[in-house]
Amino acid sequence: MNLIILKENLKRGLDIVERITGKNLTLPILNNVLISVKKNLLKLSTTDLEVGINYWTLTKTEKEGKITVPAKLILSLVNSLPNKKITLEEKDQVLNINCDNYNVKIKGQSPDDFPIIPKTETTDFIEINSIPFYKGISQVVEFSSLNQTKPEISGIYFNLQKNALKIVATDSFRLAEKTLYFKDGMDIKKETSFIIPQRTARELINITSEREDKLKMYLSSSQVLFELSFPEGNQPQIQLVSRLIEGKYPNYQEIIPQKYETQVVVSRDELISQIKTTSLFSGKTNEIKINVNVNKNKMELFAQTPEIGENKSEILVKAEGKNTETSFNFKFLLDGLTNIKSDEVIFGINGIEGPAILKPVGDTSYLYVVMPIKGN
Amino acid sequence: MNNEELWQAVLAQIQFNISQASFATWFKNTKILNKKEGLVIVSVPNNFSKEWLENKYNKIILKTLHNLDEGIKEAQYTVNHTEFKKQPTVSLPETDQLEFQELKINRETNLNPRYTFENFVVGPFNELPHAAAWAVSKNPGAVYNPLFIYGGVGLGKTHLIQAIGDKVKKNFPRKKIKYIPSEKFISGVVNSIRDHSIESFKTQYRKYDVLIIDDIQFLAGKEKTQEEFFHIFNTLYEENKQIILSADRPPKAISALEDRLRSRFEGGMIADVDFPDFETRMAILKVKSQEKRVNISDEILEYIATNIKKNIRELEGALNRLAAYQKINNKDADLLIIKNLLKTAILSPVKVINPRKIIQIVAEFYDLKEKDLIAASRKKEIVRPRQIAMYLLRNELSNSFPAIGRKFGGKDHTTAIHACTKIAKEKEENEILVEEIKLIKEQLYL
Repeated sequence: MNLIILKENLKRGLDIVERITGKNLTLPILNNVLISVKKNLLKLSTTDLEVGINYWTLTKTEKEGKITVPAKLILSLVNSLPNKKITLEEKDQVLNINCDNYNVKIKGQSPDDFPIIPKTETTDFIEINSIPFYKGISQVVEFSSLNQTKPEISGIYFNLQKNALKIVATDSFRLAEKTLYFKDGMDIKKETSFIIPQRTARELINITSEREDKLKMYLSSSQVLFELSFPEGNQPQIQLVSRLIEGKYPNYQEIIPQKYETQVVVSRDELISQIKTTSLFSGKTNEIKINVNVNKNKMELFAQTPEIGENKSEILVKAEGKNTETSFNFKFLLDGLTNIKSDEVIFGINGIEGPAILKPVGDTSYLYVVMPIKGN
Repeated sequence: MNNEELWQAVLAQIQFNISQASFATWFKNTKILNKKEGLVIVSVPNNFSKEWLENKYNKIILKTLHNLDEGIKEAQYTVNHTEFKKQPTVSLPETDQLEFQELKINRETNLNPRYTFENFVVGPFNELPHAAAWAVSKNPGAVYNPLFIYGGVGLGKTHLIQAIGDKVKKNFPRKKIKYIPSEKFISGVVNSIRDHSIESFKTQYRKYDVLIIDDIQFLAGKEKTQEEFFHIFNTLYEENKQIILSADRPPKAISALEDRLRSRFEGGMIADVDFPDFETRMAILKVKSQEKRVNISDEILEYIATNIKKNIRELEGALNRLAAYQKINNKDADLLIIKNLLKTAILSPVKVINPRKIIQIVAEFYDLKEKDLIAASRKKEIVRPRQIAMYLLRNELSNSFPAIGRKFGGKDHTTAIHACTKIAKEKEENEILVEEIKLIKEQLYL
């Protein structure tokens, strides 16, 4: 193998593929990146046996070939090289890197031992605009369950219909649902659903966040492949392959309350800043109490810890329904509010033990359901 | 050599040919799924293993297989990860942060894992239904079909019938079980009629081996649903599939239920759950306080058990309140504090019931208007509920007969006396009446 590549191009690729390496102790080769060259394309591949990433970039190829080297090491190295042309040359499983005044040798491992990243089992794909897709995922990705005892809710749920894609995550204390509406409708035969691991969703955000493009999605029974092509043509530039989480996602729609005993419309920024202030006194339990006085159109936030002190603050709101006094984990409220982008939010409360909801005013595409802390 | 032994023999040989790490990574959770006419299908946990075995180890696997069994000519690999699903066993400590209850429910069976026989407290008041339920779970479809369990609110009917489902699932993993509250069943029928999919709705129900329907009394008056349910019931019954039903009253006392359904409900085993006695209430409190890991003295548990008599759910509520108090204040509550804490729970029934409430609930129960009861009508369907209301005023509130007469539009006190003696006498003979009065009382004290 022998090739010349621009530092920037190599760095960009390594940045993307390196993130999933280095987490496996039993199979050390998973810490490596597979570098292979064919025609004028350099391909970088990594995997942790759950997710696999392939990244292609253009090079000037002198000689085809392949090698694997530790991913973290080569990324740190390339980062510190001057912004110039780099020559990569493989000889007897050693990678020689030459750039300006640097002359580096990295000991590699045989590419034959590197896992094969599975190919798609299908040629059918669905095309989605990458920007709304990654933004939608990032609004729910934090809320999947970390607890592996319920594998279904440890992932992100996708429900694809003709006119909309719903992206859902829950950790059993709260639930977020994002809906992407398709203006032209999707060319799909029937409604499909699948669950991807949270890791995969994070990587997906990482690879798609920078570019406005069409993302292709190839779905089969046990795995999914996401693909971005070179702007110039059909040659794939990034591929992300992931296993799917087996199992049925809970019937989450039953969780979303349709009616609220108390409904409050409040300025998002003001609510966030008051929650933050009040939370200083919420103690270990993170508990803050929210009192709504409907007649006075007032919402009061209260927290107290005997050893520290207490805080009480008020916001003027538009309130309807019953007066209420409900406790919440302030972190859960902030998590929901920071993912809402509108100026005003609707805060629906269903008594001291019912699910509450946060959603933007004038936007039906996002909602966040949160359970209270049991009051006394 | 069966498939399992064959694969073990293959693994035993292959581990000498490859490194320990590779072996652990690629051959973990693999097995032979099927062997037919020289073709062996190997099940692997993910696509990476599939690619790797296909491309790197196929030769050696095939060679080893061939050495062990000359007939084998080909090996194929297929991804199958359902086989290796781990069963969740971890129980999280209880915190005050509430969770979505919907997520705990098993999607296939609708059962809530909270309800098992192990945490069901048995006492004289529920011995019979418990024994029947246990027998059914050992041998579904063969004894007591249908099993009909009835009793008041908060006495553990749902717990018991779900525990049957849970046990059957453990005893017979292959049996298909479905638990459904009757409201869901009704809306299922309504929706499928609207979507013209009633046939597929029925087919779906016919495939269950154990069908558990809760609160079947809600079927009363829903004729179309009753009809569909009747057909499903018959199909299942004929195939010896177990049917388990619960209601708040015996089949006889469910009004607006078709006779053919009623007679079917009565065809199996009917068992009722009564109010728990003091000892059982104590036992329940002890079990629950252990579950919640709170430490409460016997004296206090006794106080709760003496004062909350008619509803297990309320017992649990009182315990929760107590646990919350102890956690926040970080000290054990004494009797005085308990009295204060439980004031609302214990006193509320006395506060709530009054003559107006009795008349209102009786009227509601018999589907009449309050003013009908008070008006001077002699229609039979009004006279009787009126007499029952009078009886309740006398017995629950100890109102004087003249006062009762006045409440019902200025009737004579002899009318009230007559009503009370009549109902009291009839109660001795008429079981339906007893049930009706029991139910009305439950609603009064809810």
